[in-house]
Amino acid sequence: MRLASRRMRRYSAWSLLRARLAGDRYWRPLWSGRTLQPAYDVLVVGAGGHGLATAFHLARDHGIKRVAVLEKRLVGYGNVGRNTTIVRSNYLLPENHYFYEDSLRRWETLSRDLNYNVMYSPRGVVDLALTDDAIPALARRGNAMRLAGIDAELLDLPALERFVPELEARRTRRFPIVGALVQRRGGTVRHDAVAWGYARAASALGVDIIEGCEVTGVRTVGNNATGVETSRGYVQAERIVFATAGHTGMIGTMLGTALPIETHLLQAMVSEPIKPLLNCVVVYVSPGHGETYICQSDRGGLVMGGHLDGFPSYTREGQWHRLEDVVQGALELFPRLGAVKILRHWAGTNDMTMDGSPIMDRLRYDNVFVNAGWCYGGFKAIPASGAAFAQFVATGTAPDLIRGFRLSRFATGHMLDEPGQGPFPVRL
Amino acid sequence: MTRLVCPFCGPRELREFVFHKTLPADDNANAYERTYQRVASIALSSEHWQHVEGCRGWLLVQRNPSTGQVFEVRLLGAGAA
Repeated sequence: MRLASRRMRRYSAWSLLRARLAGDRYWRPLWSGRTLQPAYDVLVVGAGGHGLATAFHLARDHGIKRVAVLEKRLVGYGNVGRNTTIVRSNYLLPENHYFYEDSLRRWETLSRDLNYNVMYSPRGVVDLALTDDAIPALARRGNAMRLAGIDAELLDLPALERFVPELEARRTRRFPIVGALVQRRGGTVRHDAVAWGYARAASALGVDIIEGCEVTGVRTVGNNATGVETSRGYVQAERIVFATAGHTGMIGTMLGTALPIETHLLQAMVSEPIKPLLNCVVVYVSPGHGETYICQSDRGGLVMGGHLDGFPSYTREGQWHRLEDVVQGALELFPRLGAVKILRHWAGTNDMTMDGSPIMDRLRYDNVFVNAGWCYGGFKAIPASGAAFAQFVATGTAPDLIRGFRLSRFATGHMLDEPGQGPFPVRL
Repeated sequence: MTRLVCPFCGPRELREFVFHKTLPADDNANAYERTYQRVASIALSSEHWQHVEGCRGWLLVQRNPSTGQVFEVRLLGAGAA
């Protein structure tokens, strides 16, 4: 579909050539600064991946004219700019793998849909088994995916060595590699480009993106919300969408309802840029060090992450011992990384739900919607979440794809507990 | 937040402790609320922790999750002062 606008330049080989000739004068802001209007059809709170994608689909697919995205800080300041950029759909439970597969299919064409290069790179996601009993678990997950028509391959050591020679899969190690589950279509996407691309495309369709506007309260009448109080005054709204990853628990507190969510910190880090070393995403649970995932960005930095810090926090200050765990896990697999320096490390706030799966539902009021609880997997969900949630908000009926993510599942016993660890975000 | 002061063992590194859950605001909360719902507050969080790599005592910890400031750590259950 064509993104028609006076303000937006459509990118193409021809436009790049023109830009080269015209110099810096050619480039314009990706989204335009608009002023906050007194009333909207849909107000989206939070200009991260999910909020911007929802606004984009509301405007493009459902023809809703007056849409605004309110953001406390800046576009892409939150988790969409803090994740490790991995996309995949290798989930065990049907509700999860069908949803994430829908998302992965959308990633494949997103650059074209947004007319913005999000650098989708299907380099393969490799889940390593470092113990014998990890193999049946990977096989079970792979079989569940294949039954749903999603690509998954269980690799033995010779096949793994062909796919990732740099792993030296058959080398003697304290915990030798036993095998791996591979999803070849999984990979990475440039995370900032996703925020910028959606913001640009939504803005071109007439969505108002208002940065530096904090929502402080919701005005209600009976079972309906009438608008929100913001740091720039009251704004009236027909429908309100909260997509405030990491702080959704506080939205619950604001609306007077406790949610099955705890906010935990997850750390990630990136090394100094080095020459190409690793051409896929590697994920494994290192016995003694916990989970580690590692990939190499297009700039050459090794992007690494691990498990949650382990307790609720809004500080965005990671615990050193968790950082140490991840580094030790990475070194165990790639001892040669010992000479590489860490360049940056950071932490993001995660909405951890009590079953590890997201919540996409109404929240307390008939016209208040919440898109939350993405735990540490929200980035890969953005395209599917935006499309499905926009349909939910526009029509009032949740599409089948997200019906399993309803809030009432915790009360009715229909949890989607992918790791099977009970109602705790962190394993004891 | 890098340490907790265990009532038995004194100040110890945070990695010795394991967080269990945040507690409901209401003592009369029903089973569903106690199991699944969590109170979200940026100023005060009441939590159960265990000193797993120390005395293994169960602790009630009250702290500010936005700053990491710890207000109180005390022992839970029988014999707790």
